[in-house]
Amino acid sequence: MTGATAIALEAVRFAWPGQRLDTLHIDELTIERGERVFVRGPSGSGKTTLLSLIGGVIEPQAGRIAVDGVPLESLARDARDTFRADRIGFVFQMFNLLPFLGLIDNVLLPCRFSAVRRERAATRGGSAPAEARRLLEALRLDVGALGGRPVTQLSVGQQQRVAVARALIGRPPVIVADEPTSALDAEARDDFLALLFEEVTSMGSTLLFVSHDAALAGAFDRSLDLRALNRASAPGVVGSVT
Amino acid sequence: MTLLSIAWASLWNRRGTAALAVLSIAMSVALLLSVEKLRRDARTGFADTVSGTDLVVGARSGAIPLLLYSVFRIGSATNNISIDSYERIGARDEVAWTIPLSLGDSHRGYRVLGTDANYFEHYRHGDDRALRLAEGAPFDDLFDTVLGSEVAAALGYRLGDAIVVSHGTGSVGLVNHDDQPFRIAGILAPTGTPVDRTVHVSLRGIEAMHVDWRSGAPIPGQRTAADTLRAQELAPRALTAMLIGLHQRRDVFRVQRAVNEDRNEPLLAILPGVALQELWNLVGVAARALLIVSACVVLVGIVNLVSVLSAGLGERRREIAILRACGARSGQIFSLLTLEAAVLALLGILTGLLAHSLAVIIGAPLLQERFGLVLTPPIPTGSDALILLAIFVAALFTGALPAWRAYRHSLADGMTVRL
Repeated sequence: MTGATAIALEAVRFAWPGQRLDTLHIDELTIERGERVFVRGPSGSGKTTLLSLIGGVIEPQAGRIAVDGVPLESLARDARDTFRADRIGFVFQMFNLLPFLGLIDNVLLPCRFSAVRRERAATRGGSAPAEARRLLEALRLDVGALGGRPVTQLSVGQQQRVAVARALIGRPPVIVADEPTSALDAEARDDFLALLFEEVTSMGSTLLFVSHDAALAGAFDRSLDLRALNRASAPGVVGSVT
Repeated sequence: MTLLSIAWASLWNRRGTAALAVLSIAMSVALLLSVEKLRRDARTGFADTVSGTDLVVGARSGAIPLLLYSVFRIGSATNNISIDSYERIGARDEVAWTIPLSLGDSHRGYRVLGTDANYFEHYRHGDDRALRLAEGAPFDDLFDTVLGSEVAAALGYRLGDAIVVSHGTGSVGLVNHDDQPFRIAGILAPTGTPVDRTVHVSLRGIEAMHVDWRSGAPIPGQRTAADTLRAQELAPRALTAMLIGLHQRRDVFRVQRAVNEDRNEPLLAILPGVALQELWNLVGVAARALLIVSACVVLVGIVNLVSVLSAGLGERRREIAILRACGARSGQIFSLLTLEAAVLALLGILTGLLAHSLAVIIGAPLLQERFGLVLTPPIPTGSDALILLAIFVAALFTGALPAWRAYRHSLADGMTVRL
């Protein structure tokens, strides 16, 4: 595992507590820095487990995972949380935003937990809130018009773009997007992808994009199928995983 | 600071249910503080009923009955003490002053107390407060009376009014001493003690009422004119009890022993402070029971707080997952929810304190008027602070339960925002 890889998995096996069989078993997965990778992962393919492992929220029973060149097993649990805050930006399928925070505060959320990203955002935008505003404007959100409203009143497309701004603020080296377009209609989806690529490229971040929708794969540098990667005999057995 | 502002924003977003939790804490805190205050002030008022008196002497019975009839004017004596004993004890070197008490008559439900000028000079209550006349003067004439403040206020009497005393105690079916009406010479200022509910006359006045009486009933056809009575000596032969003040407090046990061992008459001398304490131990049970009930109400308030926090937990798993994804440590999730409990408890306690203070300020005049209970201003005491601290800590600990659940979820849920 060299410093050149953004994400590297090696002989990783994971079973949820109480499960006899592995949910995930990946021999090798390597994503280079700056790569934009599409992972096709339908329901039950172990997608949730993969993202939780990369995020350092759960630990594999065997194998090694490195993110941004750092082996996760070398970090204690609290250090992994800080590491995640510093290096990874997440975008989820929907309901990305905290309803009780305003537009800018939602974008600034990672900066509350990561000093590194707070400083980088401040360096780039003059101040962290100014950088949040810049990112939102770049994602074609009219902060002046939308900023005063509760975030729950934004359209789903707008909410997803706010989530992208949050993932990108403070320029984390890795962006993980989990089905971010599945709640969008086709037009909004294309707009969203275009803006996401533009900003990820300008930030120089690596993008890991997981979706069940194979039609999106064409826009990416590389496309993988999680079902082919995952050699586990019982993937997706965890209750309500989508 | 970060967590506190998130906790606050989250609570503000749920301000409806949060306000209910705060309200339930506030109400229970206000109730507990008020009951505790009532108990404390009632106890102080109780202990302040009589002060400065070193010994109370009556016929041999029990300490509490003697205290009840001599000081609280409740119940009646089983026996009198002779005037000889009164004079013999009063003549002792250690004794500075004595107050004779003669009970047995009443006026419209209020006890009539026969005493002398020493009563107005030496009787003390509360923090060494002497009796003070609001109007008029102590009795001078044989048929003068001085009313306690409550008697005058309740019955609407004014100086110079004539009142008739009944034989015995109670309010109906009594034989009236209507041949010898008394004139109101003075009205005492309120004391918050049984003095307020007493009609005071001179010892000679008591004797004068009973001149034409034998065996508790008037002698038919016999009436002695008031002026004839004034000319008589009318020396009382017996008293109900006496209060004693000593020159030096350290003599109290010696005098007490001497009285208790008196060979001429079976007497009982008690230390009023000790007897008051014994009596309070009896009465205080009710007050303590009330306090325990209030503490249970606080418990209910805290349980309500936890249920409000727990109820929101399910729908907040998404929020927690977002916070986790943005780098919040699971320990911070725990802190966040504990902090919410702390904020709610603190708001509840402060609101409760405010409500309690308002209730005391508004209720104090009413309580004094209706029950003669004097409430001190609502300044939180050290024990109040301890109670509030205990409530806060209890709320924090119980609030940690849902926080612990959220912490467990945050570990098990992983990275996904489940729908």
